[in-house]
Amino acid sequence: MIRIIKKTDFPFINFSKTAITISLIIIAIGMVSLIFRGLNFGIDFTGGTLFQMKFDQPRTIEDIRAVLTTANIENCIIQKSGENEYIIRVPQGEYGSNLVEAVKTSLNIKDQNISRLEQVGPKIGKELRGAALLAIFFSFIVMGVYIAIRFQFQYAIGVILSLLHDVLITLTVFTVFQLEVSLTTIAAFLTIIGYSLNDTIVVFDRVRENLKLHRNEAYERIMDISINETLSRTIITDLTVFFVVLCLLLVPGEVRIFAIAMTVGSIAGTYSTIYIAGPVVVFWARRFKRSAK
Amino acid sequence: MFKKNVVRFIIIGLILVLAGYALFWTIAYHSFSDQKLEDLRTKGTLDKYESRIIRLGLDLQGGMHIVMEVDMPKLIETLASNKTPQFMDILNEATAEAAANEEDFFDVYRRKVNNSDLKLVRHFNGLGFKNEDILNGLEAEAKDAVSRAMEVIRNRVDQFGVSEPSIQKAGKYRIIVELAGIQDIGRARELIQSTALLEFILLKDAAVTQQFISAVDNYLKTGQQTDLAPETRDEADSTVALKESKDKAISVNELLGETGVETGLESEGADTGLVVDEEIYKERPFSSLLRNVDNQIGVPERNVYAVKKILENPGVKKLIPFDSKFLWSANAERRTVQDGATESFYILYHVNNEPGLLGKYVTKASASLGGSGSQSSGQPIVNMSMNSEGAQIFAKLTGANIGKQLAVVLDDKVWTAPFIRVKIPDGSAYIEGMQDMNEAKDIAIVLRAGALPAPVKTIEERTVGPSLGKDSIDVGIRVGVLALLVVMAFMFFYYRRSGLLADMALILNMIFTMAIMAMLRATLTLPGIAGLVLTIGMAVDANVLIFERIREELERGKTVSAAISTGYARALSAILDSNITTLLTALILMQTGTGPVKGFAITLFWGIVSSMFTAIFVTRTFYNWRVERHAIKTLSI
Repeated sequence: MIRIIKKTDFPFINFSKTAITISLIIIAIGMVSLIFRGLNFGIDFTGGTLFQMKFDQPRTIEDIRAVLTTANIENCIIQKSGENEYIIRVPQGEYGSNLVEAVKTSLNIKDQNISRLEQVGPKIGKELRGAALLAIFFSFIVMGVYIAIRFQFQYAIGVILSLLHDVLITLTVFTVFQLEVSLTTIAAFLTIIGYSLNDTIVVFDRVRENLKLHRNEAYERIMDISINETLSRTIITDLTVFFVVLCLLLVPGEVRIFAIAMTVGSIAGTYSTIYIAGPVVVFWARRFKRSAK
Repeated sequence: MFKKNVVRFIIIGLILVLAGYALFWTIAYHSFSDQKLEDLRTKGTLDKYESRIIRLGLDLQGGMHIVMEVDMPKLIETLASNKTPQFMDILNEATAEAAANEEDFFDVYRRKVNNSDLKLVRHFNGLGFKNEDILNGLEAEAKDAVSRAMEVIRNRVDQFGVSEPSIQKAGKYRIIVELAGIQDIGRARELIQSTALLEFILLKDAAVTQQFISAVDNYLKTGQQTDLAPETRDEADSTVALKESKDKAISVNELLGETGVETGLESEGADTGLVVDEEIYKERPFSSLLRNVDNQIGVPERNVYAVKKILENPGVKKLIPFDSKFLWSANAERRTVQDGATESFYILYHVNNEPGLLGKYVTKASASLGGSGSQSSGQPIVNMSMNSEGAQIFAKLTGANIGKQLAVVLDDKVWTAPFIRVKIPDGSAYIEGMQDMNEAKDIAIVLRAGALPAPVKTIEERTVGPSLGKDSIDVGIRVGVLALLVVMAFMFFYYRRSGLLADMALILNMIFTMAIMAMLRATLTLPGIAGLVLTIGMAVDANVLIFERIREELERGKTVSAAISTGYARALSAILDSNITTLLTALILMQTGTGPVKGFAITLFWGIVSSMFTAIFVTRTFYNWRVERHAIKTLSI
């Protein structure tokens, strides 16, 4: 039998104050960055146009930019995406079929050479933004209600705070490194929520069981026992998820950003399962002792 | 107990057979050669396959997704008569405000109309007398226009020949068109988006146009330049233009020597590749961008954007004679310039606001090659004939304006503007200027299918070329297989023979998920593949939970069979709770998500559903079988 984790007995709850402080510092950095730098929203949310095109001859980013600037198409983001292949993003405001024509004629490129063209109007962008926020908000509510029914109210608080923690940490990485937030990123956020919740529920499930087994133990102690007992499962599962996400990192483009979000999120998720979700439930129980257990 | 297990094996076997059947069509379809596909298509049996295979999303197959919306301001403008300045001001203000605040246009318009003393009854007939009634009438008109527009688009797409087009209504004023696997994206776009509003419009006299051009030059020169959309004329921009002109400055003197575009015939050829020279630009900021092409206003391709910007400038707009507007030629014309090089020019036409004749009278339209002897000999043209009412108007129009130019305008683009030489009594007309026969055919299609009942604009478009789609599938499959192998290797390494059991469950899970996708006729997208890959991680989690539990029970000294049953029993609640919450997330994504997110949610959802079956039911069955058959004392876990 191979064991990564032998039987452990770490005092997680004792350490949680330090852990929460570290998390809060990271999130604070993220919030500051969010205020001053904001998020790098992709055209899905801001509106705008994206071209992916392959040139017959080699061209440089500077060259493409100069040509576009001459045609009065400015503030483009140009990325190389393959051999002679580029992704050009034109921000909102230049929207219209005129733009596609203007880009095509100025770069002298034909329809066959454009392998991807996405145009999102500003109104649609706003709607997609709204729908995405709504999806995240709804999922929080639904999770909370489900946990409150299957467990107890304080577990729902623990779950929601730890999920919020995961999303905020991921958001921090996105704002600090200015990674593009697109519809796919939102899907990643929701998957992170799903995974992190999985971990947390497994721990809480153990707590639910241990509360019956060790009736005389303190609540903190039961939480510690449960986290330790499920630790090896938490780590094994997160490792397999991690392997999968590493494979997704190999795919270029949007999937890679998705994978980055997943990597960060799943690390944050493991961490929050151990240091945020459990302790929050314990603190809550201590505060409102009568409602606990 | 043993019998119960036999039942379990039979259930698994049946589901496997069902899944195999569901996937058979997809596997067969993709293994066919092009020849065989063509054979089946001619036999008419290909449908049988196509309706049973896993559908690929537009991002994997290539294709286009277009969301169109009825352009309400334009619709109102088109429906209105007697367009007074007050009426137009309110309309324009509402348009601008709605765009700025990202508000619904009609709400803003309603508010603005109600806050003003505008009497809508003076502008609209037959919609009632009160403003409120007319506003409601306009809204109803727009909704009706959506259904009619869908019909027109469907007609066009059918004639174009796209397999399985999807044309759906979304929201109040929107139409979503999805065309999978089309090769010529540019053509399809034109075909769908064209309003097909055909008009015959008289050109303005050259003198009036010349006056306007000079006025614009003066306006831009005399310190008003700051008005001119500052973002397009900033430092960086003018330096680029300047640098170019210094590199290739050839015809500075020639251009300076000319008084206007109309007479610039000899010199226009020389300034190839030159956007504009700085000095002339200062002197005549507008006309320096223009060239003379066959005594018409030619605009070098690279200047088109700048000229459009100038024409959109509010100050310049005021200079345009009230009864006229500017339209562009549909295609660029290549002209040989002095040193033998060629350059493309778009032609700018100054035409009347009111069309002389509308295309609704056109009864027939067909593409052909111009007859020998005619001016367009051998060129693709579109012949049109009109009904008697149209023919009458056309005869009057041509008769009264001999010697003038009549522009044939389709969707605000001028295709041809021939001089009227004689009165045309029989209502026959033609369009020329198409680049190839395909273009002529497409124009004939849109003319036959009819004009869209209202102006529609594209608010979202996502197009993926077929080769990119193929690349995405390849990458997706490679990554999926890699992830599967890595996870399987890890599970075997860590849990030994039990790990193999989990691996088997994992492969079954992939098969089942794909089978469900095929049976539900769900669409597989690139994010969908990502979702599938992620379920690999999720699916083994259930087995990890169970195995860890069994290990714990074994450590407590339980027998193998007791440890297995306690392990499964104890792990079950955690597996259920965690999977149900993820299913809930996936459901929310399926409901609220659009496009890519939805595709992701679908595979995630069915992947988890099937993983609960494979990871719990299938592995348990095999454990039971091994324990009972072989009465094993130790478990490889």
